Amino acid sequence: MSFLQIENLTKKYKVEHESFVGVDNVSLTINRGDFLSIVGHSGSGKTTLVSIIGGILKPTSGRVLLEGTDICTLNDKKLSEYRVNRIGFMFQFASLLPILTARENVLLPSVFTPGKNVTDERTAVDLLEMLGIGEKIDSYPSQLSGGQQRRVAIARALLNKPDIILADEPTGDLDEDTEAEIMSLFEKINKKHGVTIILITHNLEVAGKAQKQFRMSKGQFVHI
Amino acid sequence: MAQISFFSVALKNLKRKTFRTGVLVFAIALLVSLLIFAISFTVSVASSLKKSSDRLGADLVVIPVGARGFAEEFLLESKSASFYMPISVIEKVKKIEGIKDLTYQTYLSSISGLCCDVPPTRIIAFDPKTDFIIKPWLLKALGRPLEAGEAIAGAVTSENLGLGLLDVEATIFENRFKIVGVLEKTGTGLDKALFMTEENLKNIIASGKSPLKNGEISIIFTKLEKGYDPDYVGKVLEGEIPEVDVMARSDMGAKFINTLADINKIFLLTTVMASVLTTFLVWAIFSAIANERSKEIGIMRALGAKESHIVHLYIIEVTVLGLLGSTIGVLAGTYLAVQLAGSFSLLKNISAGLTATQQTTIALIGLLVGMTICITGAMMPINRIKKMEPLLVIKEE
Repeated sequence: MSFLQIENLTKKYKVEHESFVGVDNVSLTINRGDFLSIVGHSGSGKTTLVSIIGGILKPTSGRVLLEGTDICTLNDKKLSEYRVNRIGFMFQFASLLPILTARENVLLPSVFTPGKNVTDERTAVDLLEMLGIGEKIDSYPSQLSGGQQRRVAIARALLNKPDIILADEPTGDLDEDTEAEIMSLFEKINKKHGVTIILITHNLEVAGKAQKQFRMSKGQFVHI
Repeated sequence: MAQISFFSVALKNLKRKTFRTGVLVFAIALLVSLLIFAISFTVSVASSLKKSSDRLGADLVVIPVGARGFAEEFLLESKSASFYMPISVIEKVKKIEGIKDLTYQTYLSSISGLCCDVPPTRIIAFDPKTDFIIKPWLLKALGRPLEAGEAIAGAVTSENLGLGLLDVEATIFENRFKIVGVLEKTGTGLDKALFMTEENLKNIIASGKSPLKNGEISIIFTKLEKGYDPDYVGKVLEGEIPEVDVMARSDMGAKFINTLADINKIFLLTTVMASVLTTFLVWAIFSAIANERSKEIGIMRALGAKESHIVHLYIIEVTVLGLLGSTIGVLAGTYLAVQLAGSFSLLKNISAGLTATQQTTIALIGLLVGMTICITGAMMPINRIKKMEPLLVIKEE
């Protein structure tokens, strides 16, 4: 049984009587510990695909099987459990809550999985230290640089020891040095912790750091 | 290190825009204080009237024809009034079917300097043989009946006369009286009077300083036999004895009750309008919050928050707001009700006041209404928040 199996996935949107195809009959098999990147222009369907894998968007048809379980059929409760326990999200922007400190932002997923707060507190601090921002744990996002904010977001994605990290343009607005730092962190996380990483980017150089590269256009994979 | 929870996130959210939070708390506090004041006012007047008429212990009150207003003023508002009828009326009343017991009183007002060495005071003379109005209070205060040449003061009269010490003497209508005690506070018009027996009246009448003549009384209190309808007996009384008017216990304070009904309508209208406005304000602010925080909500959903978690978070926010606003409103409303009571003649004249149970109940009603309005106003935006598609709001710029 494959770790993650995407079968004939299609997502159609309807905007004012007009239909758009976000993802068009896509199939893909991903193994545990894979580090893959998906490149493509804006509107090519990469974010839609990753959102369906992450359980924040329902497909029109097709299946996403994680270790044999079709996540597309899960109800809100089960889907939330799937997201909190198995998926680590990183978005195009830093996506930190401005009212929370770095430590609190990392701990945010633990609010939705009560019962292990003390362990999470230690893990959050360890993760921030591991990512080189241990001295910033009580700083608010507005007091952090773009790179530091990304590190906090990575720490948050790792808090619940996810099986998969879904990173949507995680280095989008960063300078070259910070981008390189973040990418080396992804490589380290992938190698050291065996976490499967699916990275979306416009940047071919960034995409080249992944073990497997895919390109999307008009909702389909091309030149795999 | 403080742990993160729904509550701490909700509190941080509220602190994010303190002015907006303050406006909302102020609006809720304003509404609740208005409500508390209105209920306190109404309940205070209504319960004081009921307490006063109940404590008199009479089913029917017989007064000279046309003296109904004076009698209500004397008994409920503690105003001085002189109204008299012949003592022979007592015998006529006794003959009416259904009358079980009766007693009578005679009212006088002292005039400082002219007749008396005490400030103007309402004087109530009662018949100790038949009395059932003063007796319970008198026995409690004195433990024996009043003797000739003795008077006993109501709780408020005692303060007005400056009777710090008992057994002081006073001249009333050129007669020396020994004031032998103070009655326990009753919360009725009885508190603002000086009591003496009918026997003492003879000397007062003899002095020629009072408007009272021999053979005159002011009021007759009657108790009915079991099973007799006060309204029916009252009508028979008025029919048989044309020189009297009759008030049933439930009719006492009709003037106040009518005024109160009008005031209640104004209070109701104002409170309903304020409630609608506050609900709309809560709705508008939470709609703005939903728009402002849509991306954050999308992120939380992506991080594993269920729809119920989002609702939980915002319910905590709205509950904290509601509780804070309502508590301030309860305190402000209670303070206003107490402070402004003296400014309303309706309250000033009838020894109005609320018991601790009444005050607690009114406070709870205020809290409940404040909370309900907050949750009602916020419910629609919260429902919209929880239904947001995470991807769409995350991608929204």
